[in-house]
Amino acid sequence: MMKISSLCRPLWYIALLFAVSCAEEQDFDQFNNLSIIPEVSSSIFYFESDEGTINAAGGGTFYEQDFTFEAFNEPFVSERVVNGTITYQIENTTSKPIAASISFLDNAGTVLDTENFAIGEHPFPLLERQVAYGEGGKSLDILRNTTLIKVTGENLGDASSTSSERTPVIIIRSSATFSLELR
Amino acid sequence: MRWTNTFLWFIALWTAGVTAQNKQLLYDFYEVPQSLLLNPGVITPYQWHAGVPLLSGLSVQAGSSGIAVNDIFANDGIDFTTKFRERVVNGLSPNDVIGGSGQIEVFSGGFRSSKRPTDYYSFGMYGEGFIAQYWPSDLAQLAFEGNANNIGRRFQFNHLTTGGEAVNVFHFGINRQINNRLTAGLRFKVYSSVFEFTSKGNDGYFVTTQGENNILRNTVVADVTMRTSGVESLLELLGDDTLAQSVELPRWLLGRSLLGGNLGVGLDFGFTKRLGSNSYFTISVLDIGFIYHNNDVKNYTLNGAGTNEGIEIILPEDLGNLSVDIWQDLVDDFEERIPLDTNADAFFSLRPTQLNASYRYHFGEYSKKSNCDCDIAPSGRNINIDYKNAVGAQLFMIHRPRGPQAALTAFYQKRLGNVLALKGTYTMDKYSFANLGLGVSMQAGPVNFYLMADNLLGYQNLPASNYASLQFGLNILSWNPN
Repeated sequence: MMKISSLCRPLWYIALLFAVSCAEEQDFDQFNNLSIIPEVSSSIFYFESDEGTINAAGGGTFYEQDFTFEAFNEPFVSERVVNGTITYQIENTTSKPIAASISFLDNAGTVLDTENFAIGEHPFPLLERQVAYGEGGKSLDILRNTTLIKVTGENLGDASSTSSERTPVIIIRSSATFSLELR
Repeated sequence: MRWTNTFLWFIALWTAGVTAQNKQLLYDFYEVPQSLLLNPGVITPYQWHAGVPLLSGLSVQAGSSGIAVNDIFANDGIDFTTKFRERVVNGLSPNDVIGGSGQIEVFSGGFRSSKRPTDYYSFGMYGEGFIAQYWPSDLAQLAFEGNANNIGRRFQFNHLTTGGEAVNVFHFGINRQINNRLTAGLRFKVYSSVFEFTSKGNDGYFVTTQGENNILRNTVVADVTMRTSGVESLLELLGDDTLAQSVELPRWLLGRSLLGGNLGVGLDFGFTKRLGSNSYFTISVLDIGFIYHNNDVKNYTLNGAGTNEGIEIILPEDLGNLSVDIWQDLVDDFEERIPLDTNADAFFSLRPTQLNASYRYHFGEYSKKSNCDCDIAPSGRNINIDYKNAVGAQLFMIHRPRGPQAALTAFYQKRLGNVLALKGTYTMDKYSFANLGLGVSMQAGPVNFYLMADNLLGYQNLPASNYASLQFGLNILSWNPN
């Protein structure tokens, strides 16, 4: 004769399973220690001038222009940036030495920082400079408050010579790599 | 706010647990009337049945492939960020999925036709839901690592696949014993969608390469869509502090559940074929249907292509005509090329069609003497279709955004008199290769109670388990007379 109690046993086994199931110790507070700091890169600006334009300016400053640049100032970046590097590459195939400067300005037009470059006439090797911001580098506040960039080019040579290169130009390339603390 | 939380918990529980939706313990376990929902052509040894409202069928499943809670939250002293990077960001693939599914039967019943005793009619209403998030591998790695050290790598947008829904289903089924060897069934369904969101079939990428002019070039090519219905009104409701949410949320839920949401129709069919004196083959196809979403629809699209090398100043072309607002022009141009738009275009969503099939073999002589002589034994049970032992195999397949998911099950069933039936299963699927399950159906007089649990080995250490499910229900039923 089969008793009800014995028939119910499998049912109790399952119920018991939930009651006595084991769980290794978990620490969900660990999630607060999650650190997400990606490194993001993007170009900033590209400047190119042919030698004819430089000559046409007749010596001295051949270009001076400021323009808005609010990438660093965007809250997503300015509130999260922990360090960064701006890379400049300058290439000169003109026949004259050139001085270039790149200034970071705030909303009021105040110059926060300036990077100066002196580039010899062609042939001149590619000039590359990396400027660090954050720990061990310049203040991150320079970037956080930058809303304008001023680019200045000055001809340090004559205003008539022409390089033997096919298309003589001065080129300034720039890019930024930032570590952003997302969490 | 309390009601908002309660409601969110309700939604979470309703959609709790996964995508698998495999109910291998219940399939063809015809001691339980809810097996009719998995195969309208299952053997029906009942005269009638009535589910206890809200308690006749409740099931939740939760699972994750590729990772378990214990993998990242174990108190093992390893730096959490390191674990997260190695086991989640770099450890999961785009085919890994985290999610859950749930079903609650609101009411159900069935009866045998008096004019045509070979026919058994069943009906009811249940709510079900699921949420499935495929791991967006590339996007997660982009967010975690950034693009600086991934020059040339395309971060694919087709890794973005997600979906979820809550739907109320009204159904009516006909089950007919065509002859001694064949029982077939059909079930008609009307779907009332409460809410749905889905994003699949996306395409495109983000890549950073060496620039043509400048140092770097960022390129975005996007063809990404997220379709939603019912979500916008829900979010508005939840975000409106001026409303009495204790009144409005249930009203909203009931309204959309009871045919006030987006509607659809569907069909299930299946049969049981007796192959020999002791072997049976069954097959069922569920949820061949669709829902047409035309109310409370909001779709999001990100479509276009654009490249960026920063601001460009090229002389002499730009002498004197460079806009001071060149940065904003650059941003505007990029947004114009890859606009994030919304629309309210109606859309169809296909139901997640499921296939079940099984082969079972009965052995061991069934004897009336083995009947329990206890005083709660159900009376009048027809023993002709009964078994003492059964073994077999089952196949389950479901259509999912990234193609079909399958599970293979081997099972053993045993009847202990008229009071108790047991089913043990071993299942292999993408969540686990060691999934042991146990189902119990108990009959006490006219009361039928069943309880089924899956992945029993996982209960040794629940957080280390990739998958868990539980089903139970309570019915009143009358068996066919001898």
